[in-house]
Amino acid sequence: MTDTLAADVRVDVTSIEKQLADLWRAEKGEGEGAVTRAALWNMIAHTWSSQEHARATQVLALASAAVPQRTIVVQADPDGSAEIESWISANCHLVGGGRQVCSEEVVIRAAGERVHHVPPLVKALLLPDMPVAVWWVGDLPRDHHDYAETLLEPADRLIVDSAQFNGADDLELVSRIAEQTTTAPADLNWARLEEWRAATASLFDPAPMRERLAAIRSLRVTSGGDGSFGATAGALLYVAWMSAQLKADIAFELVSAGEAAGIASVEIEFNDGTKGMIQREASRGVVVAHSDATPAAQLDCIARVLASDTEDLIVRLLKRPEADKVYLKTLKIARRLAA
Amino acid sequence: MQPNPLREGLEQERVPEASCLVIFGASGDLTQRKLIPGLYSLAHDGLLPAGQTIVGFARAELTDEQFRASMREACDKHARTKPVDEAVWESFARGLFYVSGEFADPAAYERLHQRLREFDATRGTGGRRIYYLAVPPTFFAQVVELLGAEKMVRDPERGGAYTRVIVEKPFGHNLETAKELNRVAVSTFRERQVFRIDHYLGKETVQNLLVLRFANGIFEPFWNRQYIDHVQFTVAESIGVEKRGNYFETAGITRDIIQNHMLQLVSLVAMEPPVAFEADAVRDEKVKVLRALRPIAESVRGQYGEGSVLGEHAVAYRAEEKVAPDSRVETYAALKVFVDNWRWADVPFYVRAGKRLPKRVTDISIHFRPAPYPLFSKLGMKMHANVLAIRIQPDEGISLKFDSKLPGPTVRTAPVSMEFRYATSFGAEPPEAYERLLLETMLGDATLFARRDEIETAWAWLDPLLQRWADDPAPPPLYSAGTWGPEAADELLEKDGRKWRRP
Repeated sequence: MTDTLAADVRVDVTSIEKQLADLWRAEKGEGEGAVTRAALWNMIAHTWSSQEHARATQVLALASAAVPQRTIVVQADPDGSAEIESWISANCHLVGGGRQVCSEEVVIRAAGERVHHVPPLVKALLLPDMPVAVWWVGDLPRDHHDYAETLLEPADRLIVDSAQFNGADDLELVSRIAEQTTTAPADLNWARLEEWRAATASLFDPAPMRERLAAIRSLRVTSGGDGSFGATAGALLYVAWMSAQLKADIAFELVSAGEAAGIASVEIEFNDGTKGMIQREASRGVVVAHSDATPAAQLDCIARVLASDTEDLIVRLLKRPEADKVYLKTLKIARRLAA
Repeated sequence: MQPNPLREGLEQERVPEASCLVIFGASGDLTQRKLIPGLYSLAHDGLLPAGQTIVGFARAELTDEQFRASMREACDKHARTKPVDEAVWESFARGLFYVSGEFADPAAYERLHQRLREFDATRGTGGRRIYYLAVPPTFFAQVVELLGAEKMVRDPERGGAYTRVIVEKPFGHNLETAKELNRVAVSTFRERQVFRIDHYLGKETVQNLLVLRFANGIFEPFWNRQYIDHVQFTVAESIGVEKRGNYFETAGITRDIIQNHMLQLVSLVAMEPPVAFEADAVRDEKVKVLRALRPIAESVRGQYGEGSVLGEHAVAYRAEEKVAPDSRVETYAALKVFVDNWRWADVPFYVRAGKRLPKRVTDISIHFRPAPYPLFSKLGMKMHANVLAIRIQPDEGISLKFDSKLPGPTVRTAPVSMEFRYATSFGAEPPEAYERLLLETMLGDATLFARRDEIETAWAWLDPLLQRWADDPAPPPLYSAGTWGPEAADELLEKDGRKWRRP
């Protein structure tokens, strides 16, 4: 259950930290210690529009129940008339023993030339010693390079969603960030692949199947959606992941079919013509893998389809304290495959 | 065989190979409350391989289907993740089987063996076996010997598929019986095949003791006699003996809690850094602590009388079901323990465990020495010692108490607490201890299991005290249910100028 301690108190941008301290002091007086402030991350959500801003605020309020964080939601409109304003609030969640755990939320809206005040303001608001994640909502920053670069400077993690990418250029940009900065990219679309990776891995757990990893001839990945780059980005990441982990280029085919977004099935063909099949069974909420290659692999391997609302994906990414090395390897190959 | 490269980076990075896990005593409470729900939760989290096969073995005549139905009820009631996921259950239940038989009947083992061989062919279990002995100690020798006689145990020296056995406490009643149990176990299995479960070691917070001590640079320099005044261990239960009167009459709190769970905690707090986070390296260090324990000179025992716990009337121990009206069994024990080694010389470890105490709590507190020069005492202020408290259950977490200046123009101080709580920081429900321990057995990692020498050393240390108490014709002093034990337990610390921390 999420509750708001002090809903959207408008504050002067020069005294946000002081106003937050006042908020806690007031609550301590009323609640007598029943409220605990917690933060494991500094989470900055960057948005370009008020719709994206509203969505990001809602998503992070829910995510903070599982990963307490100081949330800073930025809405930047470089083309608007110059202004900057801010609000504060706290998202509270009940945990055991009637205790309330609260995460702070700061909202900054800036337009026109004032947009350039945002990065230093955000830096001043970061909690010390806690890692920093920047969730870039919507289009990646192709213009306003300096602005984006300064905002990303303190970031340990850059969260993007390749399902929203417009083309190979976006993958290229994220790859460059991984290579040229200390910010590790993380991808909501990669988190959506988790059950596919788990089901595929289970198929190759029995020793006779593991030997067959070297005998994979080709992959055929079917995914739904409108056939755009974003709609097939998950399938591309899957193929890139297999290549990265097996240290081999694998022939592949990406097929678009059906309306439901995301991967629908994967067919693995081995050199001897036998196959492995991995399919989503939406009605049972599982991804099922099996193969006719060996008797042991004929048993169904199942992986539960995990909750995949944006807040669930963000929580999964933030629960991993270190950069995801497998994703970074995968990204490099995906960029090559997409080019 | 190389590890599966597709597992890298997954939440389920370590998944064991499929095996046959046979539960002897499958109709018992432990199977229903902990083992099957724990295994189901592992399947739910994707930590069991597709071919994992679980075979219940007990006297009751049941079909596979009846066994599955009864285990489904158990999961509905006791699984960590509820409601039970139908798709996961369906797949999990396909690997559940039942064999009916007496523990002493060789023909039943023959039937069991035959079925296990079938599973090797149909479910890819490859001859891998884990036998879980959820049976009373009286059946232990029988089961182990018949497993050996039926050639159901493979010697690891010969290579090939593994055989492991999981043994539940009590690991004996004293040193002699513990040695006998161990002798029986190693007559059929090698020591490295024996996994002795102490479920405390499966708890996240207990494992976190090692992380706290050895993954953080700030604690270890202070973790010794120079900075630590004393250490307190409390395992308090608000419940009485409930339906375990029969067992408790032969055990008492010292055998039930102190000999195993609490000595594990003492070992983890007192041990030296292991050279690696590996089974024998960790257990070597733990056993060194047990060997360094000084014979017990000061102890207190007690037995609960009538009283009130959490607002409810509580009957006296002697009025409990299946308890002798003149019972001399202790339901409370407090010991002053010394670890005679370089690090801990003369630092008392106060250990207490009891039933029918005011609340259920397991807690370790490290009490540091006061500041060397009482600068602020001259201003009339009371200085408090720093306390690092590790809450094992419930509300798991760690807190550090220190003095702070009160705001204002005069110098006044007050103790404050800096807290970390699992629920606040990590939210998610931690896995049950049995889940972790079952998974570790399948993976063959014995780090979280007790080794033979640990068990025997612990008994060797406790036996003289238990004998003294047994020889003492006087009954243990009574304490009222709902209090923190007999007065003598408070005096045990007061005469040292200390007192029990209220957990």
